Amino acid sequence: MIHVVDIHKTFVVKDKKTRKKKTIDAVKGISFHVKPGEIYGLLGPNGAGKSTTLRMIAGLMEPQSGSITVFDHDAMTASEKVRRCIGFLSTDLGVYGRFTPRELLRIFGEFQGVDPKVAERRGMHMLERLDLTDFADVKMESFSSGQKQKVSIARALLHDPKAVLFDEPTTGLDVLTAKTVLDLLKIMKEEERAVIVSTHVMPMVEQMCDRVGIIFDGKLHGDAPPKEILSQYGVGTLDEVFFKLAADGGVA
Amino acid sequence: MKGVWLVFKKEILEFTKDRKTMFFTLAVPIILYPLLFGMIGKMGQREDQQARSSQTRIALIDPSNVIESLIQARTNDFTLVPAPEDDEKARQAIKDDQLEMLVTLGASAAQDMAEQKTVAVDVLYNRVEKTGRVAMKRLEDALRELNNATVQDRLQKLGASSQLAAPTSIQSRQVGGEELLLAKLLGTMLPYMLMLMLFVGSMQLGIYVTAGERERGTLITLLATGLPRHEIIWGKLLYVFFMGIVNSVINIGAMTFSMGTLFGGREVSDGYAAVAAEEAAQLSGIAAVVDPTVITLTLLLMIPLGLLFSNLIVFLGVQAKNTQEAGTSMMPVVLLVLFLGVFSMAPGIEKMGILPYIPIVNVSLVIRKLFAQQASVMEYLTAFCMTVGLAVLLTYISTKFLNRESAIFKST
Ligand SMILES: Nc1ncnc2c1ncn2[C@@H]1O[C@H](COP(=O)(O)OP(=O)(O)OP(=O)(O)O)[C@@H](O)[C@H]1O
Ligand SMILES: [Mg+2]
Repeated sequence: MIHVVDIHKTFVVKDKKTRKKKTIDAVKGISFHVKPGEIYGLLGPNGAGKSTTLRMIAGLMEPQSGSITVFDHDAMTASEKVRRCIGFLSTDLGVYGRFTPRELLRIFGEFQGVDPKVAERRGMHMLERLDLTDFADVKMESFSSGQKQKVSIARALLHDPKAVLFDEPTTGLDVLTAKTVLDLLKIMKEEERAVIVSTHVMPMVEQMCDRVGIIFDGKLHGDAPPKEILSQYGVGTLDEVFFKLAADGGVA
Repeated sequence: MKGVWLVFKKEILEFTKDRKTMFFTLAVPIILYPLLFGMIGKMGQREDQQARSSQTRIALIDPSNVIESLIQARTNDFTLVPAPEDDEKARQAIKDDQLEMLVTLGASAAQDMAEQKTVAVDVLYNRVEKTGRVAMKRLEDALRELNNATVQDRLQKLGASSQLAAPTSIQSRQVGGEELLLAKLLGTMLPYMLMLMLFVGSMQLGIYVTAGERERGTLITLLATGLPRHEIIWGKLLYVFFMGIVNSVINIGAMTFSMGTLFGGREVSDGYAAVAAEEAAQLSGIAAVVDPTVITLTLLLMIPLGLLFSNLIVFLGVQAKNTQEAGTSMMPVVLLVLFLGVFSMAPGIEKMGILPYIPIVNVSLVIRKLFAQQASVMEYLTAFCMTVGLAVLLTYISTKFLNRESAIFKST
């Protein structure tokens, strides 16, 4: 289980023009819960606070207040344990260009405490499923963004994590590859993992997520199955929910 | 602590995957130093040979023949050329490299000599040119011989002891040996080179694994693993430290090796004038530099110093928003290291009382003294312990600091 209870996150940035410090309330009190075998969709426009929320769950950032527990580990006091049971995919598309996928997976297997043989087998299996076997021994510096994304996904799932956190996993992918990724997520769900996906691609959410939370300006608007959200707002598609939220200035 | 080792291993592996970086870090010094010293050696040798092989062209105005036959007898050293018409022409001829010196004696020189007066020998030469200095030495040698013979002669006529003319006589016994001269010179240069290499050599690699990792978006994947954050930082520290040490070892090695082989084998020529002999003696002094105790003690000092530097590099690297900013922020440190290096190279500086207590400078100073065989155990320990203490303190501070999330997620 993943429990997120009333988390807040504020950033302090400097305005170059006025030379004054500015606080950005990126996340203003978000709560939700994700059960194993459930796919939770975090929807929201750019800058809504999706990535920040996911990073806090993954123990990479600390919320100013509120609490997060991942499979009974507190994200703040036991962030290493939390990270060990999370497969985290960030939006950065960062891969080590000097390594081949096989090398990368071996190294990250070691980092995650996975037996090298097991890591090799799982990694190769994952690459096969993502249709990347031919590139297993090619340096990643020449990879396309889709290929990089695939390697990153394999890396994130290498240690058999109980919770899967994917930040915009289909951005930059063609429809075929996107479908492969989504199918993989469904398998994660069948394997009883708790899955959180952030996105602003609505159709994907509608057909796949068990529950969605709509983040708008750092706050959660609605936390229910997609169908319920639609009827709640009295509209036909999730896009329209967005338009409505934007028109109301986030007051729903 | 396993994470430290794993991260270190990963960085080393990443380093070895890039041939170009590896070449410039490891192979360049090995090629560069022999080349550099080879060139210096060759140039020195050629100049020596030129000065030695060619006779000094001397124009002699000696109407009463006091020294002419003496000069003519020294065919190895001198060749007589016609004297220019006047002083002005002679000056020009020396400048134009048509002759090395003009020697003028008065018309009454022979008579003065017979009357036991001092004969003035006027010499016009160019002290700036090596050939000029060699010419002067040769003339002095020739005249000394003449003087000695003449004094002996005069004393004999007076019926006095020949010791009358030599109230004192120096019999020198060297303590350090002439080879120490160059060792000392090298001792002043080496710590400076070493410190610079220790810092500059690992700086780029340090930026690559800190600001570079953030720029390439891989840092977050590393942080998202189960490894404790401080172990990741220490792994990177260990890597930067290790590469700095490797770099300075390679540099010292290449430096001493190329100097040892290129200069050590050179013969000290006996027949040649003192100018060359002096230089040759200095060069053969390189052998003193290859003293294993001195090298070991020097390398031992590199450990805490490397730790200090790697902390600084990692700290600045993580601080910076991108690799470019990281490079810029390290420039002042490079300049500081350069400055401290030059400062501790300055002559006479070792007599300043507080220097042994200034970090980095004391290391440079101790290395300098090690090579001059003047270092005291106390000074060595002070420099060592102080650097260790400082390195530990900096490791503590930077670990604390780098653990903060704002150090990892830079707002761009
Ligand atoms: N490290 C940081 N420093 C300062 N401000 C930050 C930082 N990270 C995020 N923010 C700010 O927090 C807010 C939320 O950002 P976040 O990345 O969570 O948005 P998002 O929902 O993921 O958007 P997108 O769809 O564009 O990825 C933004 O206003 C952003 O500028
Ligand atoms: Mg985002």
